[in-house]
Amino acid sequence: MAFVELVGLTKQFGSLAVVNQVNLNIEKGSLVCLLGPSGCGKTTTLRLIAGFIEPSGGEIRVGGKRISAPGASAPPEARNMSMIFQSYALWPHMTVYENVAYGLRLRKLSKDEIRVRVDEILSITKLSALAERYPAELSGGQQQRVSLARALVIKPETLLLDEPLSNLDANLREEMRFEIRRLHDAFRYTTVYVTHDQSEAMTTADLIVVMNQGGIEQAGSPEDIYQRPESEFVARFIGGTNIFRGKKISADTVACEGGLNLRCGSGSFAAQGDTAVSVRHHDILLSEHKPTASDTNAIAGTVARQIYLGSHRDYLVTIPGGETVRTVAPVSVAIPVGQQVWLNFPPENCRALAR
Amino acid sequence: MASSAYATPFNRGIDFSKPVFILLAAILAVLVLFPLFWLLLYAFTDPARQFTLMNFVKLVSDPAMRRSFGLAIGMAALVGVLACAIATPMAWLVARTDLPYARFVRILVTASFVTPPFLGAIAWEILAAPNSGIFNILYRVLFDRPTDDYLFNIYSFAGLVFAIACYTFPYVFTLVANALDRVPSDLEDASAILGAKWLTTLSRVTLPMVVPAMLAGALIAILQALTMFGSPAILALPAGFHVITTKIWSLFQFPPKLELAAAAAIPLLILTILLLRGQKWILGRKGYTVLGGKSGAPRVTELGKFKPLALLFVFGILCLTVIFPYAALIKTAFTETIDASISWDSFTLKHLNFVLFDFSATRLALFNTLLLGVLTATVCTAISLVVSYLVARKSVMGAGILGVLATAPVAIPGIVLGVGLFLSYANPTFKLYGTLWILLIAFMTIEMPAGYQQLSSAFQGVHPELEEASRILGASRLKALWQITAPMLRTSVVATWCFVFIGTIRELSATILLTTANTKLVSVIIYDLNESGDLGAISVLGLMLMVVSFFVVYIASKMPLGAGRLQPRG
Repeated sequence: MAFVELVGLTKQFGSLAVVNQVNLNIEKGSLVCLLGPSGCGKTTTLRLIAGFIEPSGGEIRVGGKRISAPGASAPPEARNMSMIFQSYALWPHMTVYENVAYGLRLRKLSKDEIRVRVDEILSITKLSALAERYPAELSGGQQQRVSLARALVIKPETLLLDEPLSNLDANLREEMRFEIRRLHDAFRYTTVYVTHDQSEAMTTADLIVVMNQGGIEQAGSPEDIYQRPESEFVARFIGGTNIFRGKKISADTVACEGGLNLRCGSGSFAAQGDTAVSVRHHDILLSEHKPTASDTNAIAGTVARQIYLGSHRDYLVTIPGGETVRTVAPVSVAIPVGQQVWLNFPPENCRALAR
Repeated sequence: MASSAYATPFNRGIDFSKPVFILLAAILAVLVLFPLFWLLLYAFTDPARQFTLMNFVKLVSDPAMRRSFGLAIGMAALVGVLACAIATPMAWLVARTDLPYARFVRILVTASFVTPPFLGAIAWEILAAPNSGIFNILYRVLFDRPTDDYLFNIYSFAGLVFAIACYTFPYVFTLVANALDRVPSDLEDASAILGAKWLTTLSRVTLPMVVPAMLAGALIAILQALTMFGSPAILALPAGFHVITTKIWSLFQFPPKLELAAAAAIPLLILTILLLRGQKWILGRKGYTVLGGKSGAPRVTELGKFKPLALLFVFGILCLTVIFPYAALIKTAFTETIDASISWDSFTLKHLNFVLFDFSATRLALFNTLLLGVLTATVCTAISLVVSYLVARKSVMGAGILGVLATAPVAIPGIVLGVGLFLSYANPTFKLYGTLWILLIAFMTIEMPAGYQQLSSAFQGVHPELEEASRILGASRLKALWQITAPMLRTSVVATWCFVFIGTIRELSATILLTTANTKLVSVIIYDLNESGDLGAISVLGLMLMVVSFFVVYIASKMPLGAGRLQPRG
């Protein structure tokens, strides 16, 4: 049985359903990322789990016990969770040591035990030297680590993270991603992590839950989400992609505009209406000559833009019908703007999307 | 199963804030709405409480009344203009030039800010009354003029405008100086790089950006002038004319015409609301929100050869508003008479002695003033604290209404509130007239907006996530408040307390209608002594008031604040 269960979870503000009928099972000890654009309901879902707001419908169970339901929710302090906030929420009137010790003091641990546990977590998070500083005297990355230490020291059953890295600069963010994953591997707390950054989700998560407009778009492993998206929204949101649209003309082929027929190696087709086909930028082969032995999955176009990026070249190619295809090619393939090129879409890289 | 066990503590939190909310809403509604209700009732009825508009007809048809309204509005408008004319150049010199002693100038402007205007008016009486004024005596001695000749007459319309502007110009100064501090220098650099000379940049870029601040400050200065009782009562009455506030007060003199007083208060109430609306509108307009960029230090203009001139201007203004008046008060407090020369021989403690020991009313007034100051400050701060918490954290449905009620008195001038409270509580049902209770109610109502605004902005500075972090680690709502929010708000709470205390001990406009022989306060004693011309004793009392105020501010600023007071980044 899953450890944290969201069952038909709904939160309405007025007539607007910010979270709508969300069902999700989170295994004990796994790290789940709620990923989506701003306004998709991911932070509200997290705050529902934390107990800061009460659901309008559905319920949340932890370890089989119901902790949230309309009119009968446990307060945050009764959930044995801890949380890392976007603003870090370090208390400016307490030192690093006092901030970290706070949760243990609330649990009425002995002075000695508090000292042992705080010292231990401070050394794990590389903060021992800063114990007597005040938060205002720390850098952003240090504040972030204090926030982690404060959340981990109480050994919570569930750890919640609300966009924890969004206030850090790019280098530090990358470092902290691995740090969070490292600490998760060390402690194995059931973790729910909210972010809008797909690479953050890819690095840290066991399970990525892509959310859109209050609902779950798709849940799966990072590989599932990237290689086997089930909707146009997921394909576009995770990694760049080209989307073509057309009617299904045979069991596995979609006829798109401009005479491009795409045979799709995977995915599902719309029963009626248009089917979308997603092909990642780097999955398209670009050449000056027509590929041999194929009348599907290839089309000629004109180079509209070509940029040298050091490791590769980035191309925009206009194809008949007016669509623009983005693709990458090795540095050695240098075709000037305005010249004709052939694009080849290998079927195994074409994914049909019913939604 | 588990759900029922969890439900109990959660619901207890809800149950706890509901009654508090209802209680506070009731208290605030009584404080604000009750006096307004009685004010309107009296204004629109005859003594038999039948509906009538006769009170307003009487107001309009009385030429003396019309004149007092006209004079008051003219006076207030001129105060606004004069305040802008003094404060804007001064603010620019202090904020944007290499004027020496700029910090010192700001401190002295603050000193004129905290001077109660009625005390300033009395100081100017000492300086510029036609016969006994120090300036006029000096003029007669130095130029050998006859004894009935004089240079200045503070008992005049011009004198009144001047004396009020001296103590209201800081509103404009503070707002404009703050705005100038925050105009980012790159806006000016952008103008310069396009080819504008510094004067063009100043007049086309810098000054237009602070115009809203100047107008907003001017409106506050006008509002203060319009609703002020002390200064007009001290300076206009001897000059033989009335303004609205003194006219309302005179309607309370025997035989009292309560309906007429209530009716006369209504236009003042409406004017106040209009002025505040205007101020909000000016400050709220979108285009001016650029103020507050953080790009680079403000540009500093070098004054060069104009430096002595600028210094003379600023020093002259400070002499008129702070240095001369306080010098006059100190001299009068410690010499036999106003015209006595300053030497060790003329030094005397007789006024101090008189105030503290001979004059029986003083000690009672001092006691009453301090008692009311402490009570008002404590109760007001406590109520504001809870109200701003409920409003800031939206913990109860409809909490916003509390904020509206707590802010509403800002639109009720002191003297209007005095009329309303007199009508509400000086009747056989409550019998509060002649007790300190009615004064406590008045002060709480008057000071509630200031207390609430201070604390609610303090609450806005405490990120809700700081409390949530404590909740999720296992603290209950009350524990989070006590361990996290309370320590972070401590300085704001102390500051609010001091602010309310100082506001209370100098209040005169409402007090003058609500006080009796047994409930005299220091401000009223000062006013009474002015009637009898005892300027030495007034100076002692006025200085005592100021010393207590400065002492409270000093104590507050020395409070231990803790090293980690700053908000963390992000």
